Amino acid sequence: MKRASVYVLLTVSAVPTVCGLAGALWYGSDPDSFQRVLDAPGIGLSLASSVWTGMLATLVSLLLAHLAVAVAMTGKWRARLNALALPFLAMPHLALGIGLALVLAPSGLLLRLISPDLTGLTQPPDWFTVQDPLGISLIIGLVIKETAFLVLVLFAARAQVPVDRLMLQTRSLGYGRLKGWCIAVAPLLQAQIRLPLVAVLVFGITNVEMAIPLGPGLPPTFSVMLWHWYTDPDPAIHAQAYSGSLLLLAVAAISVAGLTGLAHLGRMLWRRSAWRGTRRTRDDNVRRAMALLLGVFWTLGFLCLVALLLRSAGGIWHFPDLLPTAAKPLDGLSGLLAAGMVLENTTLLAIATALAAVVLVLPAAERLHRSADGRRLVGALLFVPLLLPQMTFLLGVQVFLSALRIEGTFMAVLWCHVIFALPYAWGMLAPARAAIDPRYQATARTLGASRWRAWSAITAPMLLRSGMLAVALAFSVSVALYLPTLFAGAGRVATAATEAAASAASGSLAPASVHALILAMLPMLAFVLAYAGHALVFRRRRGVPG
Amino acid sequence: MPRILLPVILAVASAAVSTTLDARADESGWAVIEGRAAGETVYFNAWGGDPGINRYLAWAGDRILERHGIRLVHVKVSDIAEAVSRIVAERQVGRDHDGSVDLLWINGENFAALKARGLLYGPWTERLPNASLVDWQGNPTTRIDFTLPTRGYELPWGTSVFTLFYDRAHIEQPPGSPQTLLAWIESNPGRFSYPQPPSFLGTAFLKQLLLALNGDDARLQRPVADDFEAVTAPLWAWLHKAHPGMWRRGRLFPPSGPAQRELLASGEIHWLMSYSPAEASRAIHQRELPASVAGFHLPDGALANSHFLAIPWNARNRDGAMVVANFLISPEAQARKADEQIWGDLTVLDLDRLDSADRAMFREKRTGGATPALADRLVPEPHPSWSTRLEQAWLERYTR
Repeated sequence: MKRASVYVLLTVSAVPTVCGLAGALWYGSDPDSFQRVLDAPGIGLSLASSVWTGMLATLVSLLLAHLAVAVAMTGKWRARLNALALPFLAMPHLALGIGLALVLAPSGLLLRLISPDLTGLTQPPDWFTVQDPLGISLIIGLVIKETAFLVLVLFAARAQVPVDRLMLQTRSLGYGRLKGWCIAVAPLLQAQIRLPLVAVLVFGITNVEMAIPLGPGLPPTFSVMLWHWYTDPDPAIHAQAYSGSLLLLAVAAISVAGLTGLAHLGRMLWRRSAWRGTRRTRDDNVRRAMALLLGVFWTLGFLCLVALLLRSAGGIWHFPDLLPTAAKPLDGLSGLLAAGMVLENTTLLAIATALAAVVLVLPAAERLHRSADGRRLVGALLFVPLLLPQMTFLLGVQVFLSALRIEGTFMAVLWCHVIFALPYAWGMLAPARAAIDPRYQATARTLGASRWRAWSAITAPMLLRSGMLAVALAFSVSVALYLPTLFAGAGRVATAATEAAASAASGSLAPASVHALILAMLPMLAFVLAYAGHALVFRRRRGVPG
Repeated sequence: MPRILLPVILAVASAAVSTTLDARADESGWAVIEGRAAGETVYFNAWGGDPGINRYLAWAGDRILERHGIRLVHVKVSDIAEAVSRIVAERQVGRDHDGSVDLLWINGENFAALKARGLLYGPWTERLPNASLVDWQGNPTTRIDFTLPTRGYELPWGTSVFTLFYDRAHIEQPPGSPQTLLAWIESNPGRFSYPQPPSFLGTAFLKQLLLALNGDDARLQRPVADDFEAVTAPLWAWLHKAHPGMWRRGRLFPPSGPAQRELLASGEIHWLMSYSPAEASRAIHQRELPASVAGFHLPDGALANSHFLAIPWNARNRDGAMVVANFLISPEAQARKADEQIWGDLTVLDLDRLDSADRAMFREKRTGGATPALADRLVPEPHPSWSTRLEQAWLERYTR
């Protein structure tokens, strides 16, 4: 009977996903509107730029993430890598995208910092540094975010791999530490992160969050084109969005197949390099390059926050002034206060999402703590919404919510947020629960504690750290969600994400910056609170594992 | 099969429903409408891209709550087409009551799209006490929306005149014709741009150019026919020559008016266009644009239209929407809206019909130095089919 918890968890996640896909298929499979999609101006280039930016960003991120983990784990930052990557994971795509646009544009912060002294520029140059037709700025934005994500995933996966033994073996065979890691440990880690990698690729190809502020304009990437169609008053064009979202699904599927092919090629090359047997005991250059790259990422991330802060103050930001003149920081503040409902909605939704996710996940994790296969299966099933293009199944979800007349309600939006938070909460809590030695609880039971008391007194404190991080993670996932809020909220639920995206899409940078700042700050605050809370609770329990 | 039949059934059903409702509403006077509306919430879907306008609507919301007990929620959309498509979607799923939109800020092709599908409630505007103050005769754009008679299905809220702005720090004399503008663009590469069609300002720029280049406004009042290519040929020739000299070589365009304003303020471009002659004065006052910006109208005639308020057929709170609309065209609300330090939107009221106290409110409104004198000649908007075809043709030509 206790399996019910697992079924409830899976149902919550699967119902919108399955209904959404069914809805998209039902409304999208109209040959006429398919034809119109294929006839849309610039469609070929738009699809190509989606695939090109998503695929290249994924490959570069994967390579960088592996290198970063390898360098860190075989060097000095072993303990620090998590902390170095976490801020980028916490920063929503939209916030980073808007920030990067403010940093990299010809009239952006980067050129202002060195103009006119170093460049001699007194007017912004007419350069394609953001929204370039090739999508390079979009790729840069995606790479920064996805590298951080993959680093954390790889870092978590190392628990499944006998790292120390493998490293000892390669060292004893005379390999350099980095090379040893790359040929022995990295392939095993890679095998553990297939699903997250597919999620990264699908997100890269189908996202609008970064493609709106950074992606090319004429034509935009395909998902942005769909997003425009979705908002068109002409029902024929509106219907195109449904058919187009099926095309997006197909393109994503083909790209995943393409990635599998590339992975095959990568394995062959990898094997050949391992066969060659070069020891590469000197790897300082790679280490230095990685440190440099990390420095560049951090500088860009920091500049993003500075640029958002400067732009949110309003005023006239004439090039090459470093500070906006006539800015009224108070106006930015009053903007923030006017965004009161936004702040409220965003926080409330995120807290509700985080609590719902943890409450749904905990009993199921308890139930499956001794079944590794069960955990893997549940984990994979919960991951499905992350493997589908959001555009595709959310359009379908919206049809259902509208038919049930619950679109635009808090519960509808909450449900759509929870399905995206569950895989993260599960990924954090299920392994943590399984890692707790069953003998602790057995001992408590032998001493006469009830099942509940044994759980609450023994297991729960050991889960606290993961639980708090799961809450923070689910919270930041919810804060960042844009399309689920837009579709389930019927445009009526205003959160920082919807406001930031709407302002960014219309190019109103000052309000976009205000909301992007909220987007960037809330998740960081959540993580700080999670760590601080854990430290506070555990100040007298230093020996407790977890 | 059911998907084909459904709209027909719905159309018949909703027609029946709205006739019975009309009959009921006619019997009840304005006081009854006000009474029913008290305590309700009105979801007003309106473009939310301008902080000044958002503040104005927040002010209106406070007044309306105070006087009528109605909570006005400004649903900010980046393009009103979003709300329109939601209304269309509600029709598709058969949601004939309790719609998500009570009142929307609309005109032109969006009005035409909803009106053609029978998705608007009406006629209702004559029922409002303040409707008698509107300048129906003197300002024909209050009755005719992009060549389409409004027939009481939408209420005029303000009048717009297409205006060009330039930065005097970089341009001494504004060009007097499309030809001189082209010459300026060619000799100042990268400093001119316009909002990307189909955003309404981008399309407006195309229409204004077409009017100036073509010269035959009478032809544009009738729907597009086989002569589209012939009529628009001078426009495409102009754009073909101008695009390589524009910002980002004409391969990227600011997505909207506010985006263009940011580009002007940062110094990337030196031009701006707006339907509001007060745009620059207002932005200078709000310290969003440098004081060196000034406006002008092309001498051949400025494109003009009114913008309106409409109620969807399935609005949850129709009475509340009407009370809100009546407030929004009251002399108090219109005078505040005409103040350039607030919004600077030209009023739709006939000032001669106001009593002296109300007229005084309009005299006190403030006007800035960047606002050009009222255009010599107002040219009414072309038939909406021109916008659609221009947008389509523009996308086909330049999306690659």
